[in-house]
Amino acid sequence: MEMQMLHIFRNTPLGREMLLQSAYFCKQLEILPLIYIPDYIKFLMYFENDVVQVDLDASYLKAPDSAKAHASEIVQGMGLPQPRFFAPKHFTASTLPDLPVDFDFMCCPRSISDLSSKIGLGYIGPRVRRIVKSARFPVLIPSAVYKPWTSIAVLFGGSSNAVKALRLGIRLSRRCGLPLDVFSHPESRSRQDYENILQEAGLKEDFDNYVRTWQIFENRSFAENMYEIPHDALLVLGAYGHGLIKELLFGSTMEVVQTVTPNSMLIVGPNYRAVI
Amino acid sequence: MDDRLLLIAIGALVGVCSGLAAVALNTGLHFMAGALSGLRTHWWLFVLPGIGAMLSSLFLEKGVREGAGHGVPEVVYSVSRHGGLLRLRSAFSRLISSCLTIGSGGSAGPEAPVVMSGASIGSNVAQFFSLNERQRIALVGCGSAGALAAIFNAPIAGLVFTIEIIVGEWSARNIVPIAVASVAGAQVSRLLQGKQIAFTHLRFEVGITATLAAIGLAVVTALVSIALTRALRGSHHFSGKFPLPFWVRAFLGGCVVGAIGLMLPEVLGEGYHSIRQMVEGSFAPGLGLVLLLVAAKIAATSFTLGWGGSGGIFAPCLVIGSFSGLMYHRFLEMLWPGLSLVNEGCFALLGMAGLVSGILQAPLTGIFLIVEITGGYETILPLILVSALSTTICHAWEPASFYFRDLVEKGQYLRPRTDAKVLADLSIAELVETDCKTVPRSMRLGEFIRVIQQSHRNYFPVVDPETGQFEGMIHLDDIRPYLFDPLLYETVFLEQIMETDVETVDIHDELSGVLARMDAKGLFSMPVVSADRFIGMISKATLLDKYRNELMVQTLH
Repeated sequence: MEMQMLHIFRNTPLGREMLLQSAYFCKQLEILPLIYIPDYIKFLMYFENDVVQVDLDASYLKAPDSAKAHASEIVQGMGLPQPRFFAPKHFTASTLPDLPVDFDFMCCPRSISDLSSKIGLGYIGPRVRRIVKSARFPVLIPSAVYKPWTSIAVLFGGSSNAVKALRLGIRLSRRCGLPLDVFSHPESRSRQDYENILQEAGLKEDFDNYVRTWQIFENRSFAENMYEIPHDALLVLGAYGHGLIKELLFGSTMEVVQTVTPNSMLIVGPNYRAVI
Repeated sequence: MDDRLLLIAIGALVGVCSGLAAVALNTGLHFMAGALSGLRTHWWLFVLPGIGAMLSSLFLEKGVREGAGHGVPEVVYSVSRHGGLLRLRSAFSRLISSCLTIGSGGSAGPEAPVVMSGASIGSNVAQFFSLNERQRIALVGCGSAGALAAIFNAPIAGLVFTIEIIVGEWSARNIVPIAVASVAGAQVSRLLQGKQIAFTHLRFEVGITATLAAIGLAVVTALVSIALTRALRGSHHFSGKFPLPFWVRAFLGGCVVGAIGLMLPEVLGEGYHSIRQMVEGSFAPGLGLVLLLVAAKIAATSFTLGWGGSGGIFAPCLVIGSFSGLMYHRFLEMLWPGLSLVNEGCFALLGMAGLVSGILQAPLTGIFLIVEITGGYETILPLILVSALSTTICHAWEPASFYFRDLVEKGQYLRPRTDAKVLADLSIAELVETDCKTVPRSMRLGEFIRVIQQSHRNYFPVVDPETGQFEGMIHLDDIRPYLFDPLLYETVFLEQIMETDVETVDIHDELSGVLARMDAKGLFSMPVVSADRFIGMISKATLLDKYRNELMVQTLH
């Protein structure tokens, strides 16, 4: 069955960049973009164990007359077929539509609901965090400006979510035919520990076949080592895989990564289920 | 720990929290009533309910970005479609907004907001403990029951209302934790507010005459219930036609209520003071004025809730019901002055039960609520009669209750173990059969016959081999006329015999709608097409298999 990526379109220059990123992602993976042009400022997403209300930036409702034409033009300009537009069927209240959560991917800007001025490096909005935490699908958080990526980079720290991210990275590499690089920043693990994790996860063979380079950072801080990640790579990483207490004490890896790298990121949350 | 014991323990916790929410709202309302009571003598204060409704709508829309609504339908919708998932903000938003609306004089009740609040507490506690869907729905029920039990000090009414309206399923697995939560909620209320009942308990000697007269009252309350239901909906639709900001609409609606309240202050707020007078038999106004009060309270409630104020319809139902009962009693006494009827306070009680039962179409809730808030069982016989008849008559005119009507119209009223619920829990993606052999339109008949020989299917989708676009279907019946003429095998192409006007299904379609289309057209299977691409087939045979599995899952767990 054809896979789909949900994209919430805003008819602004910033929205155009986001859709270009989504369209490029869809083109690389040969999946279909499904575009939602909001009629209301908010919507709900009912996940398995959480309901997330997204209060959109007012710019999402701008210029509705030309939104569909602009979105089609952007998607078709990328060489994709005419996109499908999503119309909500269910409403919790008359102005509060429900969006289904059975997509295969979703594109979120770094912040979906706060002021546009905050969209950029250094800030992931709370709604996007909750979507990442609850979703079964990976969330694409694109960079602020459209930039095609030519390789895939996976941050592999050894947690359960990092294993999921690595598995996804391998599948993406296989599907797109792009090289895959893996980066590890050991905290208390040795190379042998990582290899044991790969063995236990049944990824050893795929890892050997598909991974172009594997860099294990030995020196410098985690943030400094992020410089090694290629500027034109799609960065795949797991989020919220260390448990609540550790993340409260030391912060989430995702938060650190997104503050220092401008790359588009594909985030795998704790509830992610493999689709490809 | 055993699942059921765990659920009971968490249910008790939810009941306590919901009870606290109800007490908080009650305290807030008393505070506002006290703070504003001195101002009511000023004529210009008819704007007060307008200001309250405006602040309430602004708080809901801009403050907590809730989206409007009375609360209970949203809880039912959440239970029906989303396993009882509710937003955390709903745990407090309606308490504050309804406090603003009712405290300033708007004609609404605090019960629906506390039900929403309690249900949200239950849902979020379930989310915190990562409980499964059925446990979450039970905790939503616990929250609702605890809140209602606390606000009325009526644990049985809390339990019955929750089962009848919110959960819709009488099963021991639900009833036990909900009953415990109801007790916990009522106990919290008793500890913090004293063991008081809303209305004075009076002993009524109900004879056969009064019981027979109750039949007439059931008709009256049913008609008033229908009038109130339609006025509320009509008012909501009418207000929506004005191209005004939502807060201006709420302000205008509140001002109308304030203006009505200048002449008839009984319509303002919850109106429990008037009920107490009626039950005690000390309500002075005559028959004509009581009739006017019925109409005025319906209008005030419609302008409050239909124009953007926040609150529930429970309390207005009780007030209008008691006015109706009183009106009916006085009318009978006027017709037959010698008739030895019971005290008019008893008819006020019966009227309340009739209206609650009629509006909610939940007779048990009406009966137990009135029994508990008045503290006596003496009126139980006519109570049952009025509640049952009022519900039945209302159902004949309005097939769905006030809470459910919108949900029924949108096909979102899904009760456990019903056909609609089972179908809603299945998706096209789960049913689609992808082992179909596609064929191009340029294929010759002879080649197609060889394809058929290797397939066990009767339908063959025709797809453009280059673009993947779905072009039509061929059924075995379509080629039957050509099968026995080998001369045609090399001369007939599939594009000549395929059907192009084919009913298709989208992957995101609702299964109930697809099944209705299949029944209407006499089809046994349909192609699933997404973005012009053939995905697979959906058939009634597969549907039956999955339907049975889903039904077993819903029945067993």
